[in-house]
Amino acid sequence: MENKAATVRVMVTGGSGLVGKAIEHVLKEEGGAKEGEEWIFLSSKDGNLMDPDETRALFQKHRPTHVVHLAAMVGGLFKNMRQNLDFWRNNMYINDNVLQAAHDHDVVKVVSCLSTCIFPDKTTYPIDETMIHNGPPHESNFGYSYAKRMIDVHNRAYCAQFGRRYTAVIPTNVFGPHDNFNIEDGHVLPGLIHKAYIAQKEGTPLQVWGSGRPLRQFIYSLDLARLFLWVLREYDEVDPIILSGEHDLTEFSLSCFSTQLTLVGEEDEVSIKQAADAVIEALHFKGEVLYDTTKSDGQFKKTASNAKLRKYRPDFTFTPFHKAVKETCDWFKANYDIARK
Amino acid sequence: MESQTGPMRVLVTGGSGLVGKAIQRVVTEEGGAREGEKWIFLSSKDADLTNTAVTRAIFEKHRPTHVIHLAAMVGGLFRHLRQNLDFWRVNVAINDNVLQTAHEFGVVKVVSCLSTCIFPDETTYPINETMIHNGPPHTSNSGYAYAKRMVDVHNRALFQQYGRKYTAIIPTNIFGPHDNFNIDDAHVLPALVHKTYKAKRDGTALEVWGSGQGLRQFIYSLDLARLYLWVLREYDEVEPIILSVGEEDEITVKDVVDAIVEAFEFTGPVIEPHRTPTEQYDTSKSDGQLKKTASNAKLRSYRPDFTFTPFRTGKHHTYLTPACDTSALSVITADMASTGNGDTELSKRRAIGLQPIMRVLGNEFCYLLGTKVKHSMALFAMMNTWMTNH
Repeated sequence: MENKAATVRVMVTGGSGLVGKAIEHVLKEEGGAKEGEEWIFLSSKDGNLMDPDETRALFQKHRPTHVVHLAAMVGGLFKNMRQNLDFWRNNMYINDNVLQAAHDHDVVKVVSCLSTCIFPDKTTYPIDETMIHNGPPHESNFGYSYAKRMIDVHNRAYCAQFGRRYTAVIPTNVFGPHDNFNIEDGHVLPGLIHKAYIAQKEGTPLQVWGSGRPLRQFIYSLDLARLFLWVLREYDEVDPIILSGEHDLTEFSLSCFSTQLTLVGEEDEVSIKQAADAVIEALHFKGEVLYDTTKSDGQFKKTASNAKLRKYRPDFTFTPFHKAVKETCDWFKANYDIARK
Repeated sequence: MESQTGPMRVLVTGGSGLVGKAIQRVVTEEGGAREGEKWIFLSSKDADLTNTAVTRAIFEKHRPTHVIHLAAMVGGLFRHLRQNLDFWRVNVAINDNVLQTAHEFGVVKVVSCLSTCIFPDETTYPINETMIHNGPPHTSNSGYAYAKRMVDVHNRALFQQYGRKYTAIIPTNIFGPHDNFNIDDAHVLPALVHKTYKAKRDGTALEVWGSGQGLRQFIYSLDLARLYLWVLREYDEVEPIILSVGEEDEITVKDVVDAIVEAFEFTGPVIEPHRTPTEQYDTSKSDGQLKKTASNAKLRSYRPDFTFTPFRTGKHHTYLTPACDTSALSVITADMASTGNGDTELSKRRAIGLQPIMRVLGNEFCYLLGTKVKHSMALFAMMNTWMTNH
């Protein structure tokens, strides 16, 4: 039963996915919810966001004051490479429908979800928020990348024409419970977890696609969820914000020194091989590990700077990578039957 | 991939605009159409292309094998500044409807129309086709610019997923008959044509500002139409192609004024107004470019033979090929004279298709003023003042 007296009613699109479930967990299990707030988590079962009428019906029904917009067509490297047109069109439709309906229903704030994979392919590193449109994205997922970039164009146009302050976050590679563990279509970390789990059960080698050398920054879904709540409530810019741990500890340790905070974080840019090793350790996998170098590596690196986040939140502590991987593996083993795969 | 048997059936969206009318002329009066071909010219009266069902009905009705896609939401500087979001959303809707419906109906080829105004604002010159996405466009028309850029993204995605070879052209400043001559909303060249016409008719001075030293490339709409047909029939790449005269044929804005004055045989005074708006904005913003040059090297590699219509007749322009009787401007001015009423008739027209290039328009005014202002709000103020005085 909806509480019509709630002063803040937050509608979460894509609420049943990796990030949506993490936000739900933080609200319910970690005291993340505030007095007077009401949260509605939608999934694709509730309405097809590619359809403008169905989208509008959802806004009519729930009358949100705020929207966390997570719904999207997503997939790993290999799915993107096959279906660039679908990733472009479907995400464009979802985003336009949600943003326009939010505007028409006078939603105060929409926080959408971008990704560091949409940044220019040929660029200097680390990437920061000002560089999103500075060149074409990587060829492998250009459809998805442009659709996500256009959310930022859309936000700025709403601000220019109507003064709306809709914004977006830019996480690096997210992982955690409730991910899509499908080996063909999922992302690298859940894919590795699923493959290692099967290899362990069947006594076969673990096959890692690619050379293992590309670098990725990972962010645990629960950390992302905690930061998402902060962005929704406090972050006032239209320009998006990268949400990630440190790629380089030197800067962070210096800032810790000057603010006298304890250095707790670790460098979270790891190679695919290091990520695989973390999974192997978490599952106590003892079998053989093979790297299939005939498979594509995708982009070599996408190193993003979290300096903007650190300026706002020097205090925020990220869950250590090995610990987060262990929790995810434990969740997967315990929930194998219901996990998406 | 279907192969197309039999003659083409070409649907032209935005067919009643500047470019559409030029294509129509080439097709019907210059033997541009081939035996058995059917050419269908649509305008906004025939269909609202922002509506998916309506777009599909059009394709059902005409069953085209090819599409020339010119239809777009276009407008002058003021509109772009006020309606950045609308330019984005409406054009994305039109383009997605046309491209997706064409794909579903098995259209062999769609040639869309981009513009040099969509290129990155900060860039090196000359611009070429590989540079479209290399940085953000100018903020004054970013909604429009991104929507046009996404046509190229859509084309490449269609090719990657389905092997379709839809493509696009990128003209520089187009001018010609059937343009939008509305002084409040038009490009500089048709606006100047209209102003000169009125000055001659009313016996007043022609007011032009500034040194006019900025350099621009213009392409006559009939030349563009001839090249468009070549692209439709022969150009086989998915990557777009710039259609323009070469860098060596850039002319100054002052050349444009002189050419228009000559074409109208205007003998009245050409003056600068008593008040300049330079005081009204911040001239400390440096670095407007003298040139916004686009390279036509790709076109020249395919069509070294193509001859552009001379901009004007006359002995002083060495870039011209031997002058022919009908220069571009004399055609326009003759048209205008024959309608007899530059004010109401032509000002009602809205050219669909390639239209006001905000940044180019703005920078042309900059050079008419002999200043180097780049800030978009300053341009707005300047042009607002200019236009309310005319």
